[in-house]
Amino acid sequence: MMAGTKTALYKRRIRDFILQYKESKLGIVGLFILVFFIFVATFANNLSDHSIKPTGGILKDRFKPPSSKYILGTDDVGRDIATLIMYGGRISLLIGFLAAIISGGIGTIVGLTAGYFGGWKEDLLMRITDIVLVIPGLPLMLVLASLLGSNFWNIIFVISVIGWTGTARVVRAQVLSLKERAFIESSKAIGASDLRIIGYHLLPNVFPLIVAQMILGVGGAILSEAALSFLGLGDPSSVSWGMILHWAFAVGSLSSNYWWFIIPPGICITLVSLGFTFVGFALDQIVNPRIRRR
Amino acid sequence: MSGRDYFIKRTVLVVTTIFVVIVINFFLFRIMPANPVDILISPTQGQEKMGIEIKEALMKDLGLDRPLYIQFIIYLKDVLQLNLGYSFRAPRPVIQIIAERLVNTLVLMFTGNVISILMAVSLGVIAAWKRGSKTDLGSLISALTLTSMPMFWVGGIMLLIFSVRLDLFPMFGVTKIGYSHPNFLSYLGDYLHHLFLPMITMALVSFGGLFLIMRNSLMDVFSEDYILTAKAIGLSERTIIFKNALQNAMLPLVTIIAIRIGFMFSGSLLTETVFSWPGLGYTIYQAVEWRDYPILQGTFLIITILVVISSFVAELIYGYIDPRIRTGASSG
Amino acid sequence: MTLLEVENLHTYFETREGTVKAVDDVSLKMERGDSLGLAGESGCGKTTTMLSIMRLLPSNGKIISGKINFDGIDMVSLDEDELRRKIRWKRMSMVFQGAMNALNPVFRVGDQIVQAIVSHENIEKEKAWARVEELFQLVGIDPNRAKDYPHEFSGGMKQRAVIALSLALNPDLVIADEPVTALDVIVQAQILELVRELINKLNISMILITHDLSVIADTCNKAAIMYAGKIVEQGDIMTIFKSPEHPYSQGLLTNYPSIKSERMRFTPISGRPPNLINPPSGCRFHPRCPFAMEVCSKKVPETIELERGHYIACHLKTN
Repeated sequence: MMAGTKTALYKRRIRDFILQYKESKLGIVGLFILVFFIFVATFANNLSDHSIKPTGGILKDRFKPPSSKYILGTDDVGRDIATLIMYGGRISLLIGFLAAIISGGIGTIVGLTAGYFGGWKEDLLMRITDIVLVIPGLPLMLVLASLLGSNFWNIIFVISVIGWTGTARVVRAQVLSLKERAFIESSKAIGASDLRIIGYHLLPNVFPLIVAQMILGVGGAILSEAALSFLGLGDPSSVSWGMILHWAFAVGSLSSNYWWFIIPPGICITLVSLGFTFVGFALDQIVNPRIRRR
Repeated sequence: MSGRDYFIKRTVLVVTTIFVVIVINFFLFRIMPANPVDILISPTQGQEKMGIEIKEALMKDLGLDRPLYIQFIIYLKDVLQLNLGYSFRAPRPVIQIIAERLVNTLVLMFTGNVISILMAVSLGVIAAWKRGSKTDLGSLISALTLTSMPMFWVGGIMLLIFSVRLDLFPMFGVTKIGYSHPNFLSYLGDYLHHLFLPMITMALVSFGGLFLIMRNSLMDVFSEDYILTAKAIGLSERTIIFKNALQNAMLPLVTIIAIRIGFMFSGSLLTETVFSWPGLGYTIYQAVEWRDYPILQGTFLIITILVVISSFVAELIYGYIDPRIRTGASSG
Repeated sequence: MTLLEVENLHTYFETREGTVKAVDDVSLKMERGDSLGLAGESGCGKTTTMLSIMRLLPSNGKIISGKINFDGIDMVSLDEDELRRKIRWKRMSMVFQGAMNALNPVFRVGDQIVQAIVSHENIEKEKAWARVEELFQLVGIDPNRAKDYPHEFSGGMKQRAVIALSLALNPDLVIADEPVTALDVIVQAQILELVRELINKLNISMILITHDLSVIADTCNKAAIMYAGKIVEQGDIMTIFKSPEHPYSQGLLTNYPSIKSERMRFTPISGRPPNLINPPSGCRFHPRCPFAMEVCSKKVPETIELERGHYIACHLKTN
């Protein structure tokens, strides 16, 4: 096939995809939410003048409820909470993305290997997957995080190490069904190496599924980071939404009814997680070969 | 695969998993950056730096001077005898602390999840039967939103509204502190009063996911031929939903519950921490806070084993209630 | 005596892509004791016709207009409750496509038949179970198997069980939708033999829906050929098979190979079944018809009676 027609094919595929995506109302809403939060996180320094440095707050303004000066009130050292949330989005989103990509990567490798090679490799990998799946995630993350120490990369590592099982299973199932198809057999007959078959034939077919899984995974990763931070294992120097909630609880906002400290960060986490769920769901509908007759 | 094969396969998996967990548990705590003795006698414990001989004596005492594989065998022996060491912080055996707190976790998880399952099944049935209607769409969005909320935040909101603002429920613990109850009934009442908010939080947190699964499962079942046959036979809507459809739809739910027990425990952990409910989850949290490694290690082990066993039990139940597994494959 | 009369039935489905005119002006007539074969390609509307008669359409399907008269009862306007109590299974029952899933996997086969019996008749469980035994013997299954689960039955046995279920209340009419399609050839023959026997023994009326003409040839005394939501030809079995008049019927029937006949050249019907949201104008078959004339693309052919009991909708015959 000439290079020109191949790009034409991809262009058409992308256009079809966009058309299909537009049909999903959930997908559109989700996308809208995500674009909003990514925008705010990226341009936080343009949108707000307040400082988020621990020393940057005006101490006599601490614990103030929402007002015209501080639209979401202030925290325990007088920082503007709205600003904290804007910058916090950067860390939360970043951790979420990175963790989802890494666990997606691990899951893909495991799923491809297990599905393609079969035999003892598949058995072993699937047993490992079952075991990781059944071990309670948060306690394991807690133990790992407390042993490794809390910093940005450790948190990402800890979340990834727990989260790859879903992708592994889905990828393996897809590979198993693809294996049945003739083009794999004929490739082998021609003498193509395993690596080439996996990379050239299987991977492009599995890729959309992996992307959908990764997107669904970002929401979960953000929630996991929030939980770890709340429990005191987050990176103390970072301002993620989870850390904001950690400080909120730690300084007794509950009993003192400083609701503006507690409610907004949680709403942000919920909305972003929902956004990724909607988008991932819309993608899954388009990409998943399981067609449900309903 | 016959019923017996299913049972054997599952048992082997459980035993292997538990063994793997013990091994992981052992090695995890050996990769600590510091020597356990240093932590034991670290300056934060309020002790001065000790002499080398004393350090060595302590190490010998804790068995840390032996090769790794011998240490593991000792550890294995200890675990099987339920000796999980002593807490760094309180001079008590780990197993004792765990035993005291286990009940609270079990109560919380059981009540919370029972409510959650009941809600998920009933709303799932309504949503699936009235597919596409406003009720269905509304419950779908609510469930998705619930699953996107941070679990501890939900607990915080509940506290904020019902405890702090409305002062209907207490904020933490199992019973009023320092209060001596005249009789068991009074104690029970106080306990339940303290249980209420955490229980509702747990129910809400689990509900979303279970509802979505139930709804999907029911929608699948409703589109099956045997339901169309039931309609053609003229059975009442009630009979079709509650007799013919529901039993089929519940099967995947049991499997899902088996898989999600770990997740449900995580929810319990967070809920316990928010409400300072003294269960195993809260124990792990405290252990992390105080760097009390024996407690951390022991509790993690027990929790994991319990989760694995419950998961196993759930799968056994599934094997029993699904006639296809109970009586084995077709003879045709 | 006329058992079933369908007049000018229109059943449409609302989908995201548009309105699917699945059944567009279908009329049929059956006497008591008839077994009518309803044949056509997948998607031609035969299942929808059946679902309309039984009022089992999915939520997005609706009978837009037309009459369905079952033994004097107006099925279209019949009250849901009356339908359930008086007609369903008692007078009209079904054998579904793919018996694999027609039986509930979590109940024993006998229990499901008992459920059907007990929901309509006030008899004790023992009597109902006795009837189950009777039915099993009738369809050729060992009555002891009634206490087994569906997955323990073979394909052929499941089909027999589903037939037994359909006869549980001695209905007047049994509608069978692709009853043997999912079975292998030998078992197919056995089941068809069984169906023939039962029709004769019990004097039931039957509608048999299939895309496989050989099945109809074996069991029915009348046939109706459907294409794209309309009936193009109907009549008694001999006439239709020996001398089909509609080009579509001819196409279907000449492509039916026989071991005995000489080697024939296959002339498959070219083209594809039409889109039922935007069907072709005029006669829906005209894009594929080797004899198409100008009028065929402009005007929908009316159904005329060629000879007694033999109906056709084709412009070739209208002149």
